[in-house]
Parts: sequence; C-alpha cells; structure tokens
Amino acid sequence: MVSKVLTVPNAQGFHMRPASVFAGAMAKYPCNVFINFNGNKYNAKSTLNLIAACMKCGSEIELVCDGDQEEAALAEGAKMIEDGFGE
Amino acid sequence: MYKGIGVSEGIGIGKALLIEEHSLEYTPKQVEDAAAEKTRFHDAVDVFCKNTQAQADTLRKSVGEKEAEIMLGHISIVQDPFLLGEVDKLIGEGQCAEAAFDSMCNMFIQIFSAADDDVTKQRAADVRDVRSGVLGILLGISEVKLSDAPAGTVICVKELTPSMIAEINKENISGILTETGSTTSHSAILARVLEIPAVMSVQDITKAAKNGDTVIVDGSKGTVIVSPDDEQLKCYNEKREKFMQEKKELEKFRGKPTASADGTVYELVCNIGKPDDAAKALEFDGEGVGLFRTEFLFMDKTSVPTEEEQFKEYKKAAMILSGRPLIIRTLDIGGDKDIPYLGLAKEENPFMGFRAIRYCLKNRDLFRIQLRAILRASAFGNVSIMFPLITCVEEVREGKALVEELKAELKAEGIAYDENIKVGIMTETAAAGIIADLLAKESDFFSIGTNDLTGYTMAADRGNSDVSYLYSALQPSVLRMIRSIITAAREHNIPVGMCGEAAADPMMIPLLISFGLTEFSVSAPSVLRVRKCISTWTKQKADEVADHVLSLATEKEVRDYLKTV
Repeated sequence: MVSKVLTVPNAQGFHMRPASVFAGAMAKYPCNVFINFNGNKYNAKSTLNLIAACMKCGSEIELVCDGDQEEAALAEGAKMIEDGFGE
Repeated sequence: MYKGIGVSEGIGIGKALLIEEHSLEYTPKQVEDAAAEKTRFHDAVDVFCKNTQAQADTLRKSVGEKEAEIMLGHISIVQDPFLLGEVDKLIGEGQCAEAAFDSMCNMFIQIFSAADDDVTKQRAADVRDVRSGVLGILLGISEVKLSDAPAGTVICVKELTPSMIAEINKENISGILTETGSTTSHSAILARVLEIPAVMSVQDITKAAKNGDTVIVDGSKGTVIVSPDDEQLKCYNEKREKFMQEKKELEKFRGKPTASADGTVYELVCNIGKPDDAAKALEFDGEGVGLFRTEFLFMDKTSVPTEEEQFKEYKKAAMILSGRPLIIRTLDIGGDKDIPYLGLAKEENPFMGFRAIRYCLKNRDLFRIQLRAILRASAFGNVSIMFPLITCVEEVREGKALVEELKAELKAEGIAYDENIKVGIMTETAAAGIIADLLAKESDFFSIGTNDLTGYTMAADRGNSDVSYLYSALQPSVLRMIRSIITAAREHNIPVGMCGEAAADPMMIPLLISFGLTEFSVSAPSVLRVRKCISTWTKQKADEVADHVLSLATEKEVRDYLKTV
C-alpha cells in the first residue's frame, strides 16, 4: 500500500469534470484506489463518491493505492491532482 | 407576475410549452433470473451512453466543448463502478433493474442535495437526469422530443436537464422557465451560453402556465408574466427590442481600442477574484486585469497557502492573460473576515484596524511568501504588484524594500522573475488622497479604490442603513479627493487607474476623463458598456461637465446635474 498527501489546487475543487476524469483514470488500475478526506474514505474510482466528498480548493487529502500497480496508480493520480486537472 | 432566479439575461416572449415529467412509474418486482436482469440493465446503460454521446456531439457543435463535457460527465456517472457494482448486487438479491438503479440514484441525489455548497447541490440534477434517462430506456418510454418545439416556444418544466437542452433547437426557443435550479445549474450555464432568457426556481410555474399561454420571461430581472394584457405585451416587446438593440450596439465595440471621441486612448481592464475570472475578463473583451484580489487564496483554508500554491494561481492568471497587464493586489484582509490561522483578533473597528498592508508588514514571513510567489509569476506575463490600504510613505518604502530583497533572493536561487516589475499602490484612504503627491514619488502607479475611499472620506459605512445615504462617490469631498489623486499622479507622470465601482458609472466617466484617469478597471460584464460610454466624450465636453460639477456644493446637485448630461 502506498499513499501521498496532497492539496486540491484548482479553484472549483473536485467538481464533476475532474471527478469524472480522475475516476476514469484510476479505474484502469487493478489495485484499490481511495481518498481519505475529512475522516472519511472515498472510492476514487467512483465519480459519484468523489463528488459527494465535496473536496474544495485547498482541501488536504490522502491518495491511497493498494494492490497491483499501486505505484503507477499513485504516480498518475498524484500528478493529476497536483496539476489541478489542467484547470 | 411570478418571481424566480434570473439565470440568463434578456427578454423572451412566446407560447408556453409544458414538458411533463414523463411518468417513470414502475411497480418494483422480484426477479427470478438475476443474470438476465443484469444483462437488461447493462444493455440499457449502453443505450444511454450512446444517446448521451450523441447529445454531447450535438452540444459540441451547437455550443462548445465545455458544454459538451457536461454530457460526458453524465456518462461518467452512469459508468461509475461503485454505482454499477451496487446495482448488480441489488439485482442479485432479486430486485428488478428499475428499483435497483432508482434506489442507488436516489441515494446520491439525497447526498448531493444535502451538501452545503451550491455547486455540489446542483449535481443532484445531473443524477436525476441520468436516472430518468436510464429508467426511460428500461421502461421503454420515449423521450419528449424538444427538438420538435415550434418557433416562439417558452419551455415550462419542473426541472430542466442538460440532456433536454441538448435537444433544443435554439432558434425556436424564446425562453425557459423552471421550478428548480439556480445560477450554477448546468442547465442555467447552458441557457446563458445559448443566450436564451431563462428564469429558474419559479414556484409552481408548471401549474400557473398552460400549454399555449403567452408568457413573458425577463431573465435579467427574474420575473415572469403569464397571459399578459396588451399593455404589458407592448411594454415588454419594447424592452426586448431595446435589449437586443443595446446588445448589438455594444458588440460593435468588441475588439476596438478604448478611446474618447477625440482619440485619447485608455486602458480598460477588469477586476477579478480568482484566476479563472481572467478568462472571463477576456471573454468580455477586457484588455487585462487592473485588480486581482488575492484573498481567495487565504479563505476557507486551515493554514497559510504555500508559496507553490500561490505561485500556481498567479501564474495561471498571468498565462491566461498572455502578456496583457495583471495587477496583483497583496493580501487585503482583516478582523472582519474569519480566518483562524491568521490569528487576527476580533477588533472593535476592523476597518480601521490591523489589516492589509499593516498586517503584512508586521507578518513578514507571510508577506515574503506572497511576494515571492508574485515575483515568480511575473516571469510568465505582465505582472505588477499593488499594496492596499496605504496611508503613509513609510509603508510604500518598506514594501518596496522587501520586494527588492526578495528579487535578490530569487536571483541568487536562479529563479526567474521580471526585473522591471512595477510596484504601485491602492489609493483608498483619506490619508493617501491628501499626500498623493508624496506617494506618487514612491509608487509606479496608483489605483483608486473608490469603494473604500468613499467610506473613509465620508466616515460612513455603506452597509449601515442609517448612514448609507452619505456613502456616495458623487459627494463633493470624494470628487475633490479623486481629482487631487489623479492630478498628483499626472504631475509625477505615473499611470492612475480606478478599480472601484465608480469606474463603470456613466455619471462618473466624464469626470474621470476630465481629471485625467488613465485606466478603468471594471467588472467583466461592464467592459463594452464602459468602452461605449468613453467613446461619447470629448475632453472639452468632459471638462465642461467636471468644472460645473466641482462648483456644486451638495451631492444631490451633483447627481441631478449629471443626470442631465
């Protein structure tokens, strides 16, 4: 299991567009991917769960990957978030 | 007359077309063959995805990429692995596909509706749209064909979904009315882009209007009239004509330089509160940004935003503007805002307290971080620094010295920045107005913050209804203050702009032209209107008006006179 703490950088946070893009990207990986935020655990392959998490700009989150290709998933996921999903 | 939220400006007049929510009622039943039911469900999902993709393509062509993405978001929702997994589970337990999918959708609709921020709340509408779409396919119900709506239709519906908008033939739709939704609904966004007047959250409008009723939609004011009388019809037709005319008139000014009638050119830029607004500024034909408020970086946070975080946002704005001016104002915050990590004490008098430049100069570490971030961003565009709430020369000198120190630091670290970055100040206090000549020697530019300048000069809080009558930029004292600030700037050959609301006020504009303002920084939607207004004035005419105004003794006289010019 690998993880990284990140801050959501983009102005509108994890709104529908980044949530769909992120969930879609993580869904490719066989490992489990989830996000710890505000004391809750959210399935990061699920657009709906990501939206429901209400992660706003500046939110501190922990991206956790557990299983096959966890390193690759973490690298891609972390980069997407750090780049603010290109917004 | 009915009231709602005006989400898309303009006036629309047409015949009501009520879109019934197609009945998606079903009787939940037990299924024996779970495998077959799962297949039926997934087939329906596939059809939904195909239909939605087609809608996305239509939207992309008729509107744009960003809008088409809304439909792609729906596809992402319906393909959500968590959602699909849970539905499969429920079907495996014997539920029919309709019930299983319905209950999962309802779960998320409830979660989103309960969120405390409006953007997330509005996503419930997207889930409802997806639910209706898939249920409709499962139940074999065909969608209402909005594309068949005749010309002059005003759509009346309980909830307008993005997929409905995708079907619309925009030429035929005069207006949109809904019982739900707000400015951040995806359908509101689409209505604005399609330029269809729309009013949302009009209580019971689907009961008040019947098919074929004439309806007037005022998307600017948020009002609706059902079955208007001849008087009202005439009145609104005229309003509509006027609105369209004005819009057309203003569009003529798009892409044109901002110049007075006798050819003096001005800079016409925008006030923004976050980097994305820079794109909006350009959309509305602003020539740059005269005030980039940086407080957003510090609000709703648990700690000071890092240099990296800040740098990213400043850089983003700079790049969006591609070389057009970007004036970044350093932190302008105080005890009136709740920012726990800044350790601001509750003050008796926060607007005369420890805030803005005062706070920053005494909290060097925080100030250094912000200034470093701005300096780094200056390598990516045409960036200037502006200090708020200046009241004395020392503050400017200290601020500038710090900037020089940080430039040297960055240089030693091999980090790029603009060596010639300009450092200017907000002139928004009575003190700044009075020593404007001294401050002009120390600053690269001024920006007049009339909002605060008016308040401090008149010693009146605009929010206090007992004294708000005193709060007016047309008060002789404030006008004199503005004039002397501009005069001092001109005498010292520095640019002087205005970023308060007064800059966009047609009554103020001739005065500002006469006094010699060089830059107008306004809200994005005001740009074309201000450009047009400036183009109607010659210096001579403006001087005549200003001279007369300055001879008047009361705000009322000033206002009454300016109404006539």
